Amino acid sequence: MKAGYWRLVWREFRKNRLAMGGLVMVILLILTALCAPLIANNRPYIYITGGKVYLPLFYGLIFNGAEYPELKGKDLRKKEYKGFKLFPPVAYSYSEYDLNYIVTPPSSKHLLGTDEQGRDLLARMIYGSRVSIFIGFIAVFIYVAIGIIIGSIAGYYGGWIDMVISRVIEVIMCFPTFFLILTILALWGPSLVSVMLVIGVTSWPGIARIVRGEFLRLREMDFVIASKAIGAVDPWIIFRHILPNALAPVLVSATFGIASTILIESSLSFLGFGVQPPTPSWGDILSQSRDFMDFAWWLTFIPGFAIFITITAYNLIGDALQDAMDPKSLRRK
Amino acid sequence: MKKYLAKRALLMILTLFLITLLSYTIIRIAPGDYTTLKLGMQGALKTGSISSEAIEQERKLYGLDKPIIVGYADWLAKFVRLDFGRSRKDGRPVLTRIGEALPITLILNAISMIIIYIISIPMGIVSAVKKDKAFDRVSGVFLFILYSLPHFWIGLILLLYMSSGEYLNLFPLGGIHSDWAAHAGSIPRLLDFCWHLVLPVITLTYGEFAFLARYTRATMLEVINQQYIMTARAKGLAEKKVIFVHAFRNSLIPLITLMATLLPGLLGGTVIVESIFSIPGMGLLAYESILSRDIPVIMAITTISAILTLLGILVADIMYSLVDPRIRLEAKI
Repeated sequence: MKAGYWRLVWREFRKNRLAMGGLVMVILLILTALCAPLIANNRPYIYITGGKVYLPLFYGLIFNGAEYPELKGKDLRKKEYKGFKLFPPVAYSYSEYDLNYIVTPPSSKHLLGTDEQGRDLLARMIYGSRVSIFIGFIAVFIYVAIGIIIGSIAGYYGGWIDMVISRVIEVIMCFPTFFLILTILALWGPSLVSVMLVIGVTSWPGIARIVRGEFLRLREMDFVIASKAIGAVDPWIIFRHILPNALAPVLVSATFGIASTILIESSLSFLGFGVQPPTPSWGDILSQSRDFMDFAWWLTFIPGFAIFITITAYNLIGDALQDAMDPKSLRRK
Repeated sequence: MKKYLAKRALLMILTLFLITLLSYTIIRIAPGDYTTLKLGMQGALKTGSISSEAIEQERKLYGLDKPIIVGYADWLAKFVRLDFGRSRKDGRPVLTRIGEALPITLILNAISMIIIYIISIPMGIVSAVKKDKAFDRVSGVFLFILYSLPHFWIGLILLLYMSSGEYLNLFPLGGIHSDWAAHAGSIPRLLDFCWHLVLPVITLTYGEFAFLARYTRATMLEVINQQYIMTARAKGLAEKKVIFVHAFRNSLIPLITLMATLLPGLLGGTVIVESIFSIPGMGLLAYESILSRDIPVIMAITTISAILTLLGILVADIMYSLVDPRIRLEAKI
């Protein structure tokens, strides 16, 4: 029965071509983020010279950045190193700087141009996707988990427990959340982990409200009462019977949540409270571009556009999911 | 009604108490406090010219030597007398600094709010009435794009293309008054002020009005499918009357509650907009005080924006019952 529902949702979702485009976009981004060192790296995958085969890129990945002793310090991209070489599509690492190429526009050497330290923008964008994708997923996972637990307790037990939890939710919803996040990050010091935790810990009330509402509706249903009658314990009823039926709106909200988390993270990076250098992040690249924006359009446009495309992709998916899960559209077909 | 207001006021005071307590605790338990930061900035800590006695004295001056609860009680006792203390940055009373910043942000937000509602409601209604026609489709895509554009990016681009002089020089680079305005009459001054606000208001509004227009469309569509609309049409009412009298009134309810939720978002959004356009409002003040750990100012800003948000929710609830007499305020606590 359950599998049937999700299959119906998927069938409905698939009809929305824009949303499918969004889904493909998100999958591509996740792959980029996961494979960043394989896509942008200044070492070749394979280097064959004098009858010997080297795998410098993989050697570095396995041994934590170490190099072959005999190749140490050699930039294999130079012509003087003869032999068969196969480089990744972007033959630069994100931190490698070239002072001969400071703030140069896109060219055949640097496809998206370079920044103020002569670093390849494309390589930095590829690595920067890791921050956005990673923070989006983890922070949303944290707050969805907190929201589900708190919301289901409030909705299932009701009474004074619900009263107290609802009041706490109201307090946090009235909180100027962005100030709170800024304050915490300023005082504790910004880092990947603190940004994720702060967003995760401050954003759960929305999910908790949704879950609470669903539980209030579902706990009076016959199947729950029947389950109680045969003596099921509360955690069993909550997790086995009610929660699966309450997940649809949570999933929609979580999808939009990833979009807004990516936006919050890049806003924080933009204000200097995000992930700290040398780790690149899109918001940080955009923020750095402020000093050169009157002539270096690529430094302003490209990171902003990447953030925009990512947010759009998630919003398209969220929109289509919302439509697909609407009981009205499921019944019609 | 009186009983309801009294009850609500009590709850608001409770919420405010919890918010301020939480903020104070977060600020106090953070590692490193204002004194070490200030003395560190003066270079005193580095050169070792400062004794621990002096640090102790400084801490005492700001009440950091007391336990958190006592410190909070002190803060609360002063707050009740509307005394927020003095800013640690320039020693001026916090209320004076906020008195300068708050009107600017309020004007900015009020203008934005009015523009958001003026554009989005008609747009949403027309899209809903002409569902799937050209206007609906084009505006749908357009709004979706607007909704996903990061506002710090758009702010930067507007600044770059409209006012940097590199491309166009239509608007000022930032601030709220031109130099000449100090000696000008009140009408030119007002015009100058509006001229400075154009870009910030655009940056602040486009995302929210895209959201609200999509929301209006969705609620209108829901209402239009109701049977009483069919009845209204069946008895031969003019389409205009059906839409504006029967349908629109009923879709107003969610739009009003939305106002309360938009408010904290707008207040948070001003941090970025004000820092891009260097507008000396609450957002910029908050940002600067967070950077310099100016606790009295941070506390005051948190408190005042929480009060504004709570008032917004209260007004929304009262308007709610005015629009829909079925909703009784007494039941809605």
